[in-house]
Amino acid sequence: MPPARGGSGAVDPVGRFFTSLGREPHIPTFERQSARLRFEIADGERTERWTVAVHDGTAAVSRRPGDADAVVRMTRDCAEAVVAGRLNVQAALLRGLISCEGSLAAVTMFQRCLPGPPGSTGRVPPISSQAVMAQRRPG
Amino acid sequence: MSGNLVQMLEGNTFVVSDERGDIEASATDPTGLFSFDTRFLSTWVLTVNGQRLTALSTDDVQYFQTRFFLVPGTGTVYVDAKLSVIRLREVGDGFHEELRVLNHDSEPAELAIRIDAASDFADLFEVKDALRKKGQYQAQVAGQSLLLSYRRETFARQTCISSSEPALIEPGGLEFRITVPAHGQWKTELNVVASGGAPGGFPADPAGITGQRRVRRDMARGLEKWLNKAPSLNCDWQPLERIYRCCLTDLAALRFTTLTMPDRALPAAGLPWFMTIFGRDSIFTSLQTLPFTPELAAATLLALAERQGTRTDDFRDEDPGRIMHEIRYGELTAFEERPQSPYYGSADATPLFVVLLDEYERWTGDTKLVADLEHAARAALAWIDDYADLQGNGYVSYQRRNAETGLENQCWKDSWESVSYRNGDLPGFPRATCELQGYAYDAKVRAARLARLVWKDPEFADRLERQAADLKRRFNRDFWVPDGGYFAAALDADGRQVDSLTSNVGHLLWSGIVAKSKARALARHLLGPRLFSGWGVRTLAEGEARYNPIGYHVGAVWPFDNSFIAWGLRRYGFAPEAARIIDGVLSAAAIFDGRLPEAFGGYPRSATRYPVRYPTACSPQAWSTGAPLLLLRVALGLQPAGGKLIVDPALPTLIGHLELLDIPGPWKRIDALGRGRIDTGYPAGRPR
Repeated sequence: MPPARGGSGAVDPVGRFFTSLGREPHIPTFERQSARLRFEIADGERTERWTVAVHDGTAAVSRRPGDADAVVRMTRDCAEAVVAGRLNVQAALLRGLISCEGSLAAVTMFQRCLPGPPGSTGRVPPISSQAVMAQRRPG
Repeated sequence: MSGNLVQMLEGNTFVVSDERGDIEASATDPTGLFSFDTRFLSTWVLTVNGQRLTALSTDDVQYFQTRFFLVPGTGTVYVDAKLSVIRLREVGDGFHEELRVLNHDSEPAELAIRIDAASDFADLFEVKDALRKKGQYQAQVAGQSLLLSYRRETFARQTCISSSEPALIEPGGLEFRITVPAHGQWKTELNVVASGGAPGGFPADPAGITGQRRVRRDMARGLEKWLNKAPSLNCDWQPLERIYRCCLTDLAALRFTTLTMPDRALPAAGLPWFMTIFGRDSIFTSLQTLPFTPELAAATLLALAERQGTRTDDFRDEDPGRIMHEIRYGELTAFEERPQSPYYGSADATPLFVVLLDEYERWTGDTKLVADLEHAARAALAWIDDYADLQGNGYVSYQRRNAETGLENQCWKDSWESVSYRNGDLPGFPRATCELQGYAYDAKVRAARLARLVWKDPEFADRLERQAADLKRRFNRDFWVPDGGYFAAALDADGRQVDSLTSNVGHLLWSGIVAKSKARALARHLLGPRLFSGWGVRTLAEGEARYNPIGYHVGAVWPFDNSFIAWGLRRYGFAPEAARIIDGVLSAAAIFDGRLPEAFGGYPRSATRYPVRYPTACSPQAWSTGAPLLLLRVALGLQPAGGKLIVDPALPTLIGHLELLDIPGPWKRIDALGRGRIDTGYPAGRPR
């Protein structure tokens, strides 16, 4: 399947994300998981659909519509932020940026394949006891 | 406003009102109708002919239902007894209120019944901070309904108020102009529906949400079934029967279903403000309650596995394999102004998740769940080795990466001054607190058992056991404070001992990381005058610079803490010492009418005839509710082993004869009996 393309002609990050997800031979965070999700991504007048069937460590991705445990709707901007790790799905659901019809459990599970925010390093410099005490001293 | 706050709850929807049923929220009065961490009503005030009412009595019919008996007038001298008003309120998607006005006079009564209604749609986090809202409000009359709404960009929440009787509805409330016949009555039903709170629920999926609510309602109605399913307890010491029933009833109220798993209930952390999943609290409570209500543990394991970390996210302190700390659904979380979506800043929940998985299998024989959660358990174990060793010294330590809204202390003693040196100085970060090493050790030992039994991976089991043995050896060398004869509270960022004496050494006994040769010294400290108050073990020993008998984690006695310490003491064979803790905490529970607070003062029992309650907003608290249950297990010496249940009672004389009947497990149902023979030094029949 050729990679989907965005309106500007550049390679579309959403299409690239779903396509490469479908090509992963094994996704450890999907082990023992199973659900079918349909993503409906609104781009102006157009709606792009991706169906992802997760089954025990694999994800079968297609553009064909079909039955799904959850139908997840969002705009293209939103989808691009999600696949880049710039937007957290749970927060976006609460905010109303993403809507879910059907199983929230399926959406929660799907988040397992998404990247963290760009710039998260997992490390911060240590803080000395003196610095902690200085912060706690009045004045 | 009246002093008494009445709380009622269903799932994570709850109402806090005054004793009249009125809600008048302000910065200092955290009352309201709350759902999914948002306040959907901040004003709900009933008047009759312009007069406020007075409560004659307030009954908590069930934990989700309250009846208010009211009369008009607020004067202390005169109340108009010719009229009474009964409000019966039941919490569900919002709440349902039956309002009944009774005219006791021989003349008809012309009345204007009014309800003022408004909502500030505050996030639970904002309630006390009185933060300014960033969105727009609207109050709109739509037919026979009043719609209160709030919108900030795409974030929308709505409260819909309607009545069964015709009302004059305007943006500030509802009014009924009625005539109640002589000796007659008038009634209306009021419905308050909160919507938009559930994730993905706006635009709402009403069918889905309502369906899940129905399941919860059925659960609530099954309280009697819940009580009957648990083992039954008979005892010479009457207060214990009351304590036991109170624990089971409170546990029922604390059951919480998530939107992703509507058919299973796990224990939420506390009622009402912590009615959500907290990794640590849900795990500890599940451990405490396994012999009584093992289904809570299964739900906890599944819910936590579902949200296990999979990526590096500094804002949420998330790492792959890490078990979450807290999840919230309000506006601040939605706009990523707070990290609870979910937040992962806890260093103990991950090893404790593995500990619970093993303990759960021992009590249920449910190897299927252990197989289903193999990936989650392996990821948790990998987190201990790959992500938690922040100092590269082979110890679990923590340091928040979200410096603004993350948690500074990521262990159970999470207040700012909870970890200190003897002289009161606070260590830097990262901090490797001692109990975290114990939990990590226990997680590896227990996972090794599961690896052999269920995952059929003996090589993995061998590796885990080698790692555990190495950790135990190093820990007993590096954390031991030779001049104190106990384990340091932590190692600081330089690997130096944080040398104060704390209750956490009791958790070390529970985990099994303590070398046998060092256990007696710990038991002496735990029951010695610096730590033991007579009611229980203090969080921090008397004599340490920051010790304060009413300091949250620096002197107060926590029932939950004590229940695990007692378990640890029995694990190392100190049954009489465990019995003294059991005696102290259960005696306190009897004085608190069966419901233990989160903590009580560390004053010596000889000085105060009653334990002094530590003032906290939440009651019941899940792990305080679980404490007497774990103490019962410890007192009876219940230990599941190879599909059988070992019973080895060591009871304080206070309890007398004790029977726990029909304990569930792979053995089907077993009875455990015991008689109190251990004299704890406190005469039976003290103040109750």
